[in-house]
Amino acid sequence: MYAIVIGCGRAGAEIATRMCEQGHSVVVIDRDRAAFHRLSDSFSGTTIVGHAIDEDCLISAGIERADAVIATTYGDNSNLIAVQLARKRFNVQRAIARVKDSVRASAFERLGFETIPSTTIVGDAFEQALGWEPHHPNGSPENGS
Amino acid sequence: MFVIIAGGGKVGGQLARDLMAERHEVVVMESNPGKARALQDEIGDAVVPHDASEGRWLIDAGIGRADLLIAVTGDDEDNIIICQLGEALSEGRARTITRINNPKNTDTFRTLGIEAIVNATDLVMTMIERDVSVAPVVHLMRLHSAGLELVEMTVAEGSAADGSTPEDLRLPEQGGRISVILRDGEAVLPSPTTRLHAGDSIVLVAQTEFEEALGRQFAAPTIV
Repeated sequence: MYAIVIGCGRAGAEIATRMCEQGHSVVVIDRDRAAFHRLSDSFSGTTIVGHAIDEDCLISAGIERADAVIATTYGDNSNLIAVQLARKRFNVQRAIARVKDSVRASAFERLGFETIPSTTIVGDAFEQALGWEPHHPNGSPENGS
Repeated sequence: MFVIIAGGGKVGGQLARDLMAERHEVVVMESNPGKARALQDEIGDAVVPHDASEGRWLIDAGIGRADLLIAVTGDDEDNIIICQLGEALSEGRARTITRINNPKNTDTFRTLGIEAIVNATDLVMTMIERDVSVAPVVHLMRLHSAGLELVEMTVAEGSAADGSTPEDLRLPEQGGRISVILRDGEAVLPSPTTRLHAGDSIVLVAQTEFEEALGRQFAAPTIV
């Protein structure tokens, strides 16, 4: 598939590299050129310096023919806007946002957007590591995924 | 009405003061500790010193029973998400209004379904128009699809309109119609023969292309 990864932090660099290793075409966008140093040697895609919700930047990254948009910046709000633009303006089939705030993640899941609720996932992982059944605290209702 | 204001900067603070003066219940959310404290000194407990896009704090601020959520932070992305989150968490109960800082983002807001937008640049333009226009014209509403404007003007002393009637001014032929005259605090519904006087405020429906020419009839004569 042709995928755009927005944000080249640890998570963005990780998924971009993994996708390349699986044989997919990947473009990574980050507003800081230095961030691309996180990409490993097996990353075979291209990089663009730009902003997550700048439509001109998304178009130059080829969003009009992208199969997937993966939004991994540190800002939940930027990620949520990027996936909404991808779905609503550019009709991208899969658009997934990393969202740290559990409440925000579940609210946007209910609105029909795919999220990776990273805080919830890490909390679940810790509980599982402790041999407990994951439960979700007050204010972070069950995620739709 | 219960109003949550996201963003306690100059705009948010002023909105809070205005709404409180009109006896509305107001909560202001401001994540910058310094700004939040300054606002707390002034309006007290009505300040929640947290980011409004953080779900638990928006719930804590009372989004579940809010009538209106106004997003006026300095960040357009935050404003969009705060509105959407507020609508979702209030299950559509709270109406939302947001501010755009960068006019370039207007299309993005509309694509994402945010309709009630206050564009700061537009507001400034309206104020500039008001100050420099040939007539003291205040744009009340623009009806794009019909090509009409609803404007308020004041009849200037010595203007063509001063002492004339709508019939004298041949307004309908010039693409305008006076809806109401505001005189001494009273609303007067004009007939074609109602005489206008300097100091009258009139609300006029005007075809956009004739608005400027119509405005000249109400402005003081310029000395050349």
